[in-house]
Amino acid sequence: MCPLCGWDVLVSYLICGTLHSVDQYLNIKLTDISVTDPEKYPHMLSVKNCFIRGSVVRYVQLPADEVDTQLLQDAARKEALQQKQ
Amino acid sequence: MVLLRSVPPPTEGVRHEQGETTAVLDGKGLGTGTLYVAETRLSWFDGSGMGFSLEYPTISLHAISRDLSAYPQEHLYVMVNAKLNDEMQENAHDDEEDEDEEDDCEGITEIRFVPSDKAALESMFSAMCECQALHPDPDDEDSNGDFDGDEYDVEEAEAEHGQGDIPSFCTYEEGVSGLRAEGQATLQRLEGMLAQSVANTFHMAGVRTDETNGEFDDGVEVDAGSTVAGQFEDADIDH
Repeated sequence: MCPLCGWDVLVSYLICGTLHSVDQYLNIKLTDISVTDPEKYPHMLSVKNCFIRGSVVRYVQLPADEVDTQLLQDAARKEALQQKQ
Repeated sequence: MVLLRSVPPPTEGVRHEQGETTAVLDGKGLGTGTLYVAETRLSWFDGSGMGFSLEYPTISLHAISRDLSAYPQEHLYVMVNAKLNDEMQENAHDDEEDEDEEDDCEGITEIRFVPSDKAALESMFSAMCECQALHPDPDDEDSNGDFDGDEYDVEEAEAEHGQGDIPSFCTYEEGVSGLRAEGQATLQRLEGMLAQSVANTFHMAGVRTDETNGEFDDGVEVDAGSTVAGQFEDADIDH
């Protein structure tokens, strides 16, 4: 997951930011965040950096043109298979 | 989450302790006290010993807020994935419109910890990050083992959950609760497909077997007894 750091991501359609770091539990640190719906979530306007608990992350959108999606899927499948064994 | 009850502050595993910290819960000031960022839980207590504790799994997000135009003081912002009970809930509804609160913000609480020493915010934030990492969600750990013997088809799951542009869950809070139901529904469907073609490995997998067996009643047709042995037994399916 380290190679993803530094990219702009959108988390759960709510929070967009630059991926600072992520750990094995998908806990995410974002910097320079912006909220997709400030009217619905005005309390987040004043926040620049945040830490999001991995268990509440629904989706993470990555910039498609910067990601080798095939490679990512293969890696994810391999990891899932390894965890089976 | 214990709210405003007399409990002793944590004594062990305190990664960061910050005195002279005001707590604001859903817009209501609770006074000045001490914030304890302990490995077991996050706690805040005022001078009289009254306070509250938060379990890390309930903390969805925390952040440092420095934009004074949005909030008059720099503070540590904490979003809790739970709605307050007792007296605090009434106050929260007074501050917000009831309809919006229930429809859009179901089950979240916002807490702001405002230390008098703003330089401590980074340490408070980091301590919380560290403690959050100590409390991974048990469901997540199970899900890693759940797929032993099952093929978690990322493509199928994505197709079911949401096709990117048309999210089923518009709100953060709905998503958290919705994921479990739909995630399980997807899992049932996948398991049903596999059960028809894969042998007993399905039943021996750690895929919450007790729950899934019960959930077959949801209409997912699974002939658990009729497996086509030998057809896909050795499958480590690579698409």
